[in-house]
Amino acid sequence: MNAILLLIILLLLSLLFVGGKQGLMTFFGLFLNCIPIFILITLVNWGFTPLVVLPIMAILILSVAIYLSAGRPRVLQITWQSSVIVLVLILILAFLAQHFGHLQGYTLENSDELEGLSLSVGIDFSNLAIIVMVMSALGAIAEAAMAVTADLFEVVERTPNISAANLQAQGKVIGEQILGTAINTLFFGMLGANIPLLVWFFRLHYSFSEFMNGKLLIFEVVTMLLGMIGILCSITIAIFLVEHAFHREGRGILNESDL
Amino acid sequence: MKQNWQKILFVIVITALGYFLGRFDSVLYQQPVGQVTAVKTLSSESTTDEHGNQDESVDQQLRVKLLNRKDKEKVIKNSYLSSQAETIRYQKGDQILLTKSDDGYQIDMAKRDNVLFALLGLLFAGLYLAMSRRKFSFLALSIVVNAGLFLATILWDATSRSLPVLPVFVVLALLLSALALYFVLGWGLQAWITWLATCLATLLAVLAMAAVIAVTGAKGIHFETMSYVTQIPQPVFYAQALIGVLGAVMDESGDIVAGLFGLKRESSERTFADYWQAGRSIGREILGTLTNVLFMIFIAETVPMVILMLRNGNNWSYILDQTMNLGILQTVVSALGIVWAVPVTAFITATLLTKKGAINS
Repeated sequence: MNAILLLIILLLLSLLFVGGKQGLMTFFGLFLNCIPIFILITLVNWGFTPLVVLPIMAILILSVAIYLSAGRPRVLQITWQSSVIVLVLILILAFLAQHFGHLQGYTLENSDELEGLSLSVGIDFSNLAIIVMVMSALGAIAEAAMAVTADLFEVVERTPNISAANLQAQGKVIGEQILGTAINTLFFGMLGANIPLLVWFFRLHYSFSEFMNGKLLIFEVVTMLLGMIGILCSITIAIFLVEHAFHREGRGILNESDL
Repeated sequence: MKQNWQKILFVIVITALGYFLGRFDSVLYQQPVGQVTAVKTLSSESTTDEHGNQDESVDQQLRVKLLNRKDKEKVIKNSYLSSQAETIRYQKGDQILLTKSDDGYQIDMAKRDNVLFALLGLLFAGLYLAMSRRKFSFLALSIVVNAGLFLATILWDATSRSLPVLPVFVVLALLLSALALYFVLGWGLQAWITWLATCLATLLAVLAMAAVIAVTGAKGIHFETMSYVTQIPQPVFYAQALIGVLGAVMDESGDIVAGLFGLKRESSERTFADYWQAGRSIGREILGTLTNVLFMIFIAETVPMVILMLRNGNNWSYILDQTMNLGILQTVVSALGIVWAVPVTAFITATLLTKKGAINS
């Protein structure tokens, strides 16, 4: 039996056991998210302007990721709002990073993979680099906003007499801790993914300036930094939105009937 | 409001400082650095490859001012394809690292440290404002120490030919997670619980992968598609999966434990069932999005290669096998770790928080 298929079945069963029906939705969401990604790739391949297709598909991906996860409607709503605001910011930053850094495409280190492939394919790879940077950040943006919003709602629910000032203090504590752990997620993800490349750099005695300027490594690091900046903005904006909602509606934010 | 503008201004100033640091650090470089002062297109020619893709091949002449050499100005030729897959179209103002040979200067690579420094500046300025000074220094320290430890291990792995890769990276994973949690959470029960749950869930996920690979004889897994291979791929893949999933599981456990300690701070009179339920509820809410974090990172990275292969007339099933196989495997293993972290963390935390007299802090 195919090893990956077996692991996927194991994952499905675990999700059912841990998350019940909601767990199933998570699984479904991963598959559903392949659709906008597939459409994005196909449209870009057909020659559509990537910088128009990307924001639309990014919002779709965010919506699927957020609205298919389990949670209160209001938590999801606030998560979605902060994520879309942050998406715009990351789009701009990714564009600037690409413009100043020429981060697109491949180098000599990729010769093996590129063997037999024509590189004059008529699609601007600088736009593809922007796609990679923005899409990599999407998950992290949604996750951070979701975590901080869910935690704050949990606190409001479990503490009947919470005041706005108390909530603000809790927001800072929770935000700080989530910031720390969420940044570590991307950090370790990047470290893990780049073990072979770094070993390569060390084995071939690359110079310090190649570590600081080499396209492949800098692209990975820039992608990670954009993700971290996304997390930071996401948390800041989500806390602001929750406090704003609590300020207006008090514990009424827990009511789900208004949606 | 005025305070918010000051904060935004602070972030912009630090970002700009980072950028200019990268623009003016060429004196520190041993190799020649130049800045493009004028660009002239010499010739351009349409090309069509064997798959019918239209592209454009361009020769440009760059006037380059040398920034750290006595020679003042040089004229350098650069040719690129409009698609820029392996070549670069330079613009006025770009800085370039050069190499000198007998017949003049050649382009080595674009200078990118200005982007690196600017984004680092942006991130750290933002973190500085968002966190208390103490937490900020600890997070920064955590990243620096962990990166140093990681690079040292990689260097060790790269220089020694017979390193037992997997055991070394298991120890590294234990160390990195302990350090990261210590720096973020401080020394205390919260950090210990999170660390314990993280290691347990990660271990379970990687063991599950090892078991499945053993049972199926690694059928359907293409270890040979790994990029930049300089050693036997399989142990390296395990190391990658281990370190990669560690952060995500730590995030999940960290969020659950933080949430439950938040409840504890609000009111300490709660039962095991309260914590267990709240923990699973927090976990369930973020489990989907967290899996998505790793899924999006992996799938985003494959996009350029998928498009390149599509344009080269390959079919989808071949492309999926070549570009996504290991990524999917790693995403599934990470997802397993993230899912199992929920009951593991909720159980450990609920047990310890309700144990009489265990916590007073």
